[in-house]
Amino acid sequence: MAAIDIPEVLKFIDSTPPFSSLTQIQQKQLLTGVGLTYARQGEKLSLHGEHATLHLIRRGACEIRSAQGGLVDKLADGDCFGVSTVLEQNPDGLQVIVLEDSLIYRFQKNGFQSLLQEDEDFALFFAHTRSSRLRKLSRAHATDLATPALQLSTPISQIMARTLISANIQDTVQQAATVMTEARVSSILVLEQNKLAGIVTDRDLRSRVLAVGASAELPLHEIMTHNPATIDEHSLVMHAQTLMSEKNIHHLPVVSKEGIPVGMITAADLLRHQELSPLLLINQINRQSDVASLKQVCAQLNTLIVNLILTDMKTTDIGSVIAAISDSLTRRLLELGIDKFGPAPFPFHFLVFGSQARKDQSLGSDQDNGMMLSRTPNEKETQYFAELATFVCEGLAQCGIRTCPGDIMASNPKWRMTQDGWQQAFANWVEASSPSALLNASIFFDIRCVYGDAEPVQEVIETMQARVAKSSLFLATLTRAATVSKPPLGFFRNFLLESSGEHKHQLDLKHQGLALINDLARIYGLGCQRYRISTKERLEQAAREKLMGLDIARNLIDAWEELNELRLQAQRQHWQHSGEPSAYLDPSELSSLERKHLKSTFATIADGQTAALQRFARGYA
Amino acid sequence: MPKRLLNTFERWRSQRDRKNQPWYEHSYFVLDMETTGLDPKTHQVVSLGWVLVEQGTIQLDTAQHLLLDSAQIDDVSVGIHMITDRDVLEQGRRHASVLRYLRQIMKDKVLVVHYSPLELGFLKSLWRTQPMPALSFEWIDTMQIEVQRRARAQEVIAEGGFRLPACRERYGLPDYQGHDALTDAMATAELLLAQAAHYNHHDPSLQELIKLGGGRMRLSSTEK
Repeated sequence: MAAIDIPEVLKFIDSTPPFSSLTQIQQKQLLTGVGLTYARQGEKLSLHGEHATLHLIRRGACEIRSAQGGLVDKLADGDCFGVSTVLEQNPDGLQVIVLEDSLIYRFQKNGFQSLLQEDEDFALFFAHTRSSRLRKLSRAHATDLATPALQLSTPISQIMARTLISANIQDTVQQAATVMTEARVSSILVLEQNKLAGIVTDRDLRSRVLAVGASAELPLHEIMTHNPATIDEHSLVMHAQTLMSEKNIHHLPVVSKEGIPVGMITAADLLRHQELSPLLLINQINRQSDVASLKQVCAQLNTLIVNLILTDMKTTDIGSVIAAISDSLTRRLLELGIDKFGPAPFPFHFLVFGSQARKDQSLGSDQDNGMMLSRTPNEKETQYFAELATFVCEGLAQCGIRTCPGDIMASNPKWRMTQDGWQQAFANWVEASSPSALLNASIFFDIRCVYGDAEPVQEVIETMQARVAKSSLFLATLTRAATVSKPPLGFFRNFLLESSGEHKHQLDLKHQGLALINDLARIYGLGCQRYRISTKERLEQAAREKLMGLDIARNLIDAWEELNELRLQAQRQHWQHSGEPSAYLDPSELSSLERKHLKSTFATIADGQTAALQRFARGYA
Repeated sequence: MPKRLLNTFERWRSQRDRKNQPWYEHSYFVLDMETTGLDPKTHQVVSLGWVLVEQGTIQLDTAQHLLLDSAQIDDVSVGIHMITDRDVLEQGRRHASVLRYLRQIMKDKVLVVHYSPLELGFLKSLWRTQPMPALSFEWIDTMQIEVQRRARAQEVIAEGGFRLPACRERYGLPDYQGHDALTDAMATAELLLAQAAHYNHHDPSLQELIKLGGGRMRLSSTEK
């Protein structure tokens, strides 16, 4: 008796395409030698040997995954798999995993193959299935690519530059610089009898030649880095990245076993390879249609920031990039919220404060935001905005932008006000606050509109600026409050460090350094005619309006940039090390030169504080 | 004499070792019978349906559906199974040849049935209708396995919950419309696969399945 004579089998085959369009004889041919198996949930099905054949799910559910684990397809009753194992020995390494307990027909390979040759429609059906799976597979690969794990395991030989730009060890600095300029590269390999002897980078030319007034006629071996770190040509991207961050270098010569250079890999190559560009991330954010997938996309944010830091991007640019991403994310969440809760009953503005407003967020910044409503809401409208704001703030938190410990968030009804409400709030802060309350509120003075018409927000800012200009007491109070925290520049030791807690004897770059400059810049910024948000622009504006000396402004900007760079580097190291973006610095890890530098940086802040007290608080002491 | 004793011991030992192998190393003869009633002493077998399980897979080409002649077809059977006297005449086989065939196929296989008291009882009475060589085999009852499993899990199963369709439903197996002997044999074979797959986190040995719901029996046409 043949399988086709079993009524239940015949009934199923007869109702399942493409088998249903086969003739009785063809069905019989296909069903000869068919076996019925039972697979348990979670089981990974073998597609090797005699199992490398066509399977048909009688009852149950399975999923096809790529060799890397990306989901390619989900299958249920009446769906087939294993076709590619028959045709091409499963070149993509697809795996089949049982989602629900399944009854599965396993056909004989021979019968299936001859039927494919003999019946064009039948073959076409499977060709179609196959190509649609391939399409899905390539999509699964695309998402695989976005996972750092896969990128990190790429061999460096795939992404390194193979055109070697090199100079002889006896060549002069001038000759090397000419070659580098012509080849448009930022580093050059120095060879001695074809073997790698050293490396010279743009930075070396700057710091070891120009800065010290050395001659361009010096031979390269006097200024090059001798025996530079190299990497074996068979290493993975992961190794290159680790080595670069450990040694804090951006150029890594790739050498063969014999020590012959075969390529060069730079931090910029790594970044390009990872295809994690800010623009791409923003595009991805704008394409997601629920919080869960946004969360998935934003999981790459920290990796992106780390890459930007590694490539030596300017700190202010890193800040703008993170701000652009945070803004897009905030706007996307608002759009999704509006899809969910319906259109807003009247226009509103979504405001961001603090670091997002100033565009100097870094790894692990938290959210500070609020809403400005164009009129007073009724009870139902209040409810609407509460739901919308909570949705956005929770969404941001899920995407890695932590909730504000001080609850300065749009989800807090206190920070959802009308334009009048906000104006009144600023009036209260400007006219009637105690120094400590004022300092807590200072974050609101960094304000930016990320959603809705910016004009009314600008009006609030202008009204606030006008009020500040009339109240000299306010700036005096704010200055005194802001200068209570001093930079850690003690008499008895180089640094007055946090003396307790987890970060004992470490330097808090944010609160002991950056925040002090931000506070100073805010005071000067508020004293200016024109409102600026970022710390750097505020200091520049203050110098322009002659509120502060050009020298102090420049020094403070330099100090701010240096501290910011140190903070980003420290965060990157901590993040890569422990997954925590801590901004603490252990001074013992700094060279004595760096320490001296840092000390003068803190001295600059102290000078800035003195100048601010002179300017704004004289006579109010 | 000692030599024969030794042989017996060897046979026993190899049988025991065999039974400790994983269940899928054995061949199974999954049988269902349609009868004219529930009492093997007074009612007769109308048809037999079976399928073999080898290497843990139901080999669909091995399915068989046989009608027996000389059975009394009553109106109830006609109603349930749609078998008529005409079918019996056309497709029926002579008892003797059917039984010889059956015996040949059952050799070296484990019998699998759903509700053994009935099926084993009818097999016994079938064997007595003809002079036949004796046949010994292990058997498994999927209903008994189910009863044991549910009892161990302290699940309370409602009345009728151990009938074949109800057991299958618990494993998510499809609902089969027909209830002829072949469909029920297929249904029982699938249930066996599901039960084996759901055994405590490992592939059970034949011995473990028998312990849950099975035994060993000897069919003979002479013994009373």
